[in-house]
Amino acid sequence: MTEARRNRLLRPETLTAIGLIVAATGFLIPTFDLRPISALLPAAMLIGLIVLSALLLVSDQRKAAAGEVAKPVSTAPGRVIGAFALIVGYAVATDLLGFYPSTIVIIPLVSAIFGYRSPLGLVIATAIVVGSIWLIFDFGMSQDFPAGRLWQD
Amino acid sequence: MYSDLLNALPEVFGLANFLAVIIGVIAGIVVGAMPGLSATMAISVLVPFTFGLEPLVALGLMAGIYNGAMYGGAIPAVLLRIPGTPAAVATTFDGYPMAQRGEGGFALQVAVVSSSIGGIASAFALMLLAPPLSKVTLLFGPAEVFWVAVFGLASIIFLLGGSPVKGLISACFGVFVSVIGSDPIFGSDRFTFNQLELLDGISIVILLVGLYALPPVIDLLETPLKTGVSEDKLGTEPIWKALPRMKGFWKTWIRGSLIGIWIGILPGAGGSMAAFMSYNEARRASKHPERWGEGEPEGVAAAETANNADTASALIPALTLGIPGTAVAAVMLGGLLVHGLQPGPMLFRDNPDVVFGFMWQFLFGAILLVLLGGSLATNSFARLLNLPRPLLGSIIIVLMLIGVYSIHGRMFDVYLMLGFGAVGWVMDKLKFPLPPVVLGLILGAFAEENLRLALRIGRGDWGVLFRNTTSLVLVALTIAVIVGPGLKKRILDARKARTAD
Repeated sequence: MTEARRNRLLRPETLTAIGLIVAATGFLIPTFDLRPISALLPAAMLIGLIVLSALLLVSDQRKAAAGEVAKPVSTAPGRVIGAFALIVGYAVATDLLGFYPSTIVIIPLVSAIFGYRSPLGLVIATAIVVGSIWLIFDFGMSQDFPAGRLWQD
Repeated sequence: MYSDLLNALPEVFGLANFLAVIIGVIAGIVVGAMPGLSATMAISVLVPFTFGLEPLVALGLMAGIYNGAMYGGAIPAVLLRIPGTPAAVATTFDGYPMAQRGEGGFALQVAVVSSSIGGIASAFALMLLAPPLSKVTLLFGPAEVFWVAVFGLASIIFLLGGSPVKGLISACFGVFVSVIGSDPIFGSDRFTFNQLELLDGISIVILLVGLYALPPVIDLLETPLKTGVSEDKLGTEPIWKALPRMKGFWKTWIRGSLIGIWIGILPGAGGSMAAFMSYNEARRASKHPERWGEGEPEGVAAAETANNADTASALIPALTLGIPGTAVAAVMLGGLLVHGLQPGPMLFRDNPDVVFGFMWQFLFGAILLVLLGGSLATNSFARLLNLPRPLLGSIIIVLMLIGVYSIHGRMFDVYLMLGFGAVGWVMDKLKFPLPPVVLGLILGAFAEENLRLALRIGRGDWGVLFRNTTSLVLVALTIAVIVGPGLKKRILDARKARTAD
C-alpha cells in the first residue's frame, strides 16, 4: 500500500498534533493574567499538551519518513461529514424553530438519507418516538423544550 | 465494617429501586445486543435523564444496564459472529459454530447462566473488598488524596495499553477541561471568555455524552451494517431443561469468576482481556481442547463468566479511590458525581446507604439476568437485531439532545456537547484513549483542590507533599506504574533476544 497524500504534513496524526499545539498555545495566553497558583494547573496541562503534541508530530513524521502509510480517519468521509452536518443542523433548527418541528423532520430525514426508506416504518417510528417524548418528558415530567427563537422574537 | 451493608438492604427492596434494576437489565440487554452500541454509551445517554431521580434509582438503572449489556453482547456474537460489545469477542469463537449447527438457543442459555454467575461473584467481591479498602483510604489527608488522584491518572494512562503519549494527551485535555470556570479558591474566571454558561465549569455529563454517545452514532450511520437473524439458528428450549447440560461447567465458572474479578480490579484491563484469559485457561484445562473453536459450550461459559465477573469488581478501585478500572466505570463515576456523590475515600463515610445499596443492586442485577434473559426473552432480543441502524441512530441523536438540554435548559450545552463529540470522534479514530479524558475531568479539579489545601496546611512548602509514609508509598506506586510497563517490555525483549541467540 502506498501513501496517497502528496504532503507528509497532511497525515491525520500530524494535523491533529499541529492543531493541538496551536489551540494549546492560544489558551496559554490568558493564563498570564491569572494569579500564579490559579494558573499552575492549567498552564502545566497546556504546556504538557504542547510538548506531547510535538512528540506525537515528530513520531508521526518519522513513521512517514520510514514509508509507513497512515490509515485514513474514515472509510466514508462523505457519510461522516453528512452525519455531523445533519446533527449540527438539527441542533440549530431546534434552537431556531423549536424542538418538536425539528424532531419530526430529523428522524425520517436521517433514516432516509442513511438507508432506511420504508415510508410506513418512518411514519410509525417518528410518531412513536415523538409521542413517547411528549408523554414522558413534556406531559409526565413537565420538561420544557426549546420553543424556537424565531417564534419568540 | 459490614453492618452498613446489611443496613442498606431494606432500602434496595423499595419498589422504585427494584424496578430500576429490572428496567436497567432489560435496557442493558437491548443495548448490548445492538452491535455498535455499548454499556458505556447507554449509561452516558442515560445519566442526564437521572437528574430528577433518587440516587439509588439512578444507580440501580446503571447497575442493571452494565450487567445486562455484558450479556447482551453475546446475542449477536452467537447468532451473527458480530460481538455486540468488545468484551463478547471471545464468545464468538464457540458460540457462532454452535448457532451454525442449530444450537444458538443453548449457546445463549449457557451465556446467560454464566454471565449471571460471573456477575454474582463480582458483586460479592465488591461487597467484601470495598469496605475494608475504604476504611484505609479514610485516613488520607489532602496530600495523600492528591497523590491518589495522580496515581489514578497515571495508572489509567500507562496500564491501558497503546501509546502513552496519546494517553497523556487525553489526560491533559481532561484536566484542562476540569479547570474551566471559576477558580475554586479565589473565584477568578479561567477560560470562560465572558460566557456566563461556563462560570460553573463544564458538566461531566456534557463531556460524557459528547465523547461516548456521539461517535457510536456517527459509526452507526457511517457503516450501514446489515444485521438480521433467522429463527432456525436458535432452537430454544426452557432454561430449566438446559441447566443439567451445564453441570460440568462448575470449574470453568469458578476459574472465569476469579480471573474476571482480578482483571476488573486492575486499572485499564477490561472485560475483553478477562474473557480472553478465561477462555485460554479453560481451553488449557480441558480434556478435549481440539473441540474448542468448533462449538464447545464450555468456551461460551468461560468467556461470558469472566466478562461479567469484571463488572462490579471494576468498581472496587473506582468507589474507594476514585480510580475507574474501565471506561464504563469512569462513566459510572460521572453518574455518581451528577448526584453529588464524590467517588473516593469519603463516599463510604458520607453516603453508606447509597454506596452499599448500589452494591446490592449489582448483585440483584446479576441474579435477574437469568430470569430476564431466559429463553422467551432471548427470542425477543434476537429479533432486535433486525432494527434498522439509521433509524436507531436518529433516535439516539434526539435522546442525546434532550438529555444534555435538560441539565440546565439551555442550547449552549448542546453545542458544547457537539464540540466534544467531534473531538471524541477524532480521538476515537486516531486511537487516543477516552477514559483518561473523563478521569482527568473528574480527578483534575479534585487533585487541584487537595493540592492547594495541602499547600495551605504546609504554608506554601511543597515538601508537605512528601512528608509522610503514605504519600511516599503513593509516589513510589505512581513511578512504578509509569516505569513498569516499559521496564517489563525491555526485560521481555532482552529475554527473547537471549533465547534467539
